[in-house]
Amino acid sequence: MSSTPSNKPATLILLGINHNTAPVELRERLAIPTERLADATRSLLHQPGIREGIILSTCNRVELLTLQDESPEEAPATAEANKASLLRFLHEYFAVPPNDIQPHLYEFREREAVRHLFRVASSLDSMVVGEPQILGQVKESYTIAREVGAVQSNLESLLQRTFTVAKKVRSETQIGSSSVSIASVAVDLARKIFGSLSGKTVLLVGAGKMSELAARHLIQQGASTILVANRTPARAERLAAEFAGPTVHTEAISLADLYTQAPRADIVITSTGAPQKIFDRSHGQQFLHARRNRPMFFIDIAVPRDVDPRMNEVEGCFVYDIDDLQQVAAANLADRSREAQAAETIVSREVDKYHERLQSRDAVPAIKALQQQAEAVREAELARSAKRLAGLTPDQLAAVEALTRSLTAKLLHPQLTALRESARSKESEE
Amino acid sequence: MSLFWLRVAVLLYGIAALAVLPAALYDRPRWRHVAVPATIAAVFFHFVSLSETLNLAHRGLPPVLEIASHETQTLLSLLLALAFLLVFWRYKTVSLGVFLLPICFLLCLVPAFHPGQEISPFPLLLHSRWILLHILLLLAAYAALFLSLIASLFYLIQERRLKQKHPTLPWLPPLETTDQIATRSLLFGLPCMTAGLLIGSLVAQVTVGASYFRDPKILLAFAMWIAYVAMIYIRRSAGLRGRRAVFLSGFAFLVVLAVWAANQFSAVHRFTAP
Repeated sequence: MSSTPSNKPATLILLGINHNTAPVELRERLAIPTERLADATRSLLHQPGIREGIILSTCNRVELLTLQDESPEEAPATAEANKASLLRFLHEYFAVPPNDIQPHLYEFREREAVRHLFRVASSLDSMVVGEPQILGQVKESYTIAREVGAVQSNLESLLQRTFTVAKKVRSETQIGSSSVSIASVAVDLARKIFGSLSGKTVLLVGAGKMSELAARHLIQQGASTILVANRTPARAERLAAEFAGPTVHTEAISLADLYTQAPRADIVITSTGAPQKIFDRSHGQQFLHARRNRPMFFIDIAVPRDVDPRMNEVEGCFVYDIDDLQQVAAANLADRSREAQAAETIVSREVDKYHERLQSRDAVPAIKALQQQAEAVREAELARSAKRLAGLTPDQLAAVEALTRSLTAKLLHPQLTALRESARSKESEE
Repeated sequence: MSLFWLRVAVLLYGIAALAVLPAALYDRPRWRHVAVPATIAAVFFHFVSLSETLNLAHRGLPPVLEIASHETQTLLSLLLALAFLLVFWRYKTVSLGVFLLPICFLLCLVPAFHPGQEISPFPLLLHSRWILLHILLLLAAYAALFLSLIASLFYLIQERRLKQKHPTLPWLPPLETTDQIATRSLLFGLPCMTAGLLIGSLVAQVTVGASYFRDPKILLAFAMWIAYVAMIYIRRSAGLRGRRAVFLSGFAFLVVLAVWAANQFSAVHRFTAP
């Protein structure tokens, strides 16, 4: 990013804090809600020397990606000034003293800034590596920055490349394929048993945040009937009403009917505070008999547990308690870190490619100037000899024209190649 | 020429059998785009080869038709490949190909490259078309049974892993899918087996007479049919899945193998197809 279309040197700087460098107390002071992001981006752009800029603000990070003026003669001084203007922005906009922020800040320039951005968007720098939301958040920041005019050609091409790289990482590695949250692990297991969840019936026994979340995940995957059983019928009714939707049929059932209604459910999620087990092994046999051995999946999130673990011995009953789910999540997380290594390789390759492209783009103005100059000389020489060439036939004239063109092209070829090469080697020295 | 097309088909079966490994085991969709078209092409060329063989036989010296064990072998592989494609089309899974496609390849390998070594001429005086239909239907029933056995095995493996809380094998289809494949292929195989045996009996009645039905192989064949019907009945009525379903399918499969092997003891039915 050593030059811009205006041909003035500029430098790419990324300054930020994330979950690894800053405690949540600081992150929450610097967090910018989406509705204020446009305003913040505008303020950033008003800082001296900043040509283009994007602010990425999530619960785990606040990062400022900027393209700033650079003065090659006073490189160290400008570098400091560039950083200072970003710090000033943070200080002024959030009213946080620079001394509070500075120890937690990281700073990347040029190539390393590109690498960091690629890693962030590919979810390699996330708290839960491989989580898919971050790419959407980067896209949102980009859209807002573009709307306020803070993204022009340089950041535009960088961001477009970033989205491509993130997509590539996701499609060429398994980084996002396994679930690492309890609710999504439960849904994954249900899919392993039932395949498609469309038309399946889910029974919710007791209420809790996690069981509701799991139920919502199941509805998203197509579960069409939700039965809610609760000690307090009013609560069951309320919960059932919350889940109801155009494609979802819900029913509140009383605890008295629990055992007669349970065989209707393909998936049972339990999360009551009951001190003793609600479902024991014989219930499993009874349900399976009523279901003619169609499988049943019990997700027991309660502690103490609601489902007797021995029910898992009944053929067709699959019982997973909170520890089982957590173990699957942990194993998936380990898989993800293996995949992350493959993803890092892709990112490194893409950073190289991006810079190569940038360098050949940087050489374009010089190449054009050289070509124009050569063409001017050629035309002038032809004009000078116009009288002497007057006797030639149109075919002969065309041959002379072609000859001169070919001569200039061949004479220029080594110079143009050298220009492109030097642009690349200059970058690698940097 | 029919041999040439068969060799092309064998090559394609080989490619498909190799490509299905990364496609299924490592979930690489690109390999799926190789395995499925290769199987389709293999089935096409196999069909061309088979049509030419039948055509030649037809123009040969009727009413004597040589039915080689090799032809039945390749026909079985064609049916298994078709079963793989059918399952892919219906359930979008290539996992069964891990077993089915190498078997297709191996079944065709010897007939394609060492033909005519195991030909046991069987003079059919009449009804050669009916005999062909009899063979085709019974082979379809075998293919269905084999498919059901593999699907039941998949079910068992996946079920065990889920029960023991081990990480599931991502390349295995969900339990409900494998159960459906197992049950539906059995249900498809029943009419095939019934019609195949009936046609065989009628042809035997006309050509050999009642003594045909005292042959051990023929008796075993009817025992096989009873085992097959019993298996479907038990599976359907008790909703049998998992380990017991695999045992049941395995038992029926053993009976079928016994019928196949009973060739050696049969006086009247001495080619590989029962």
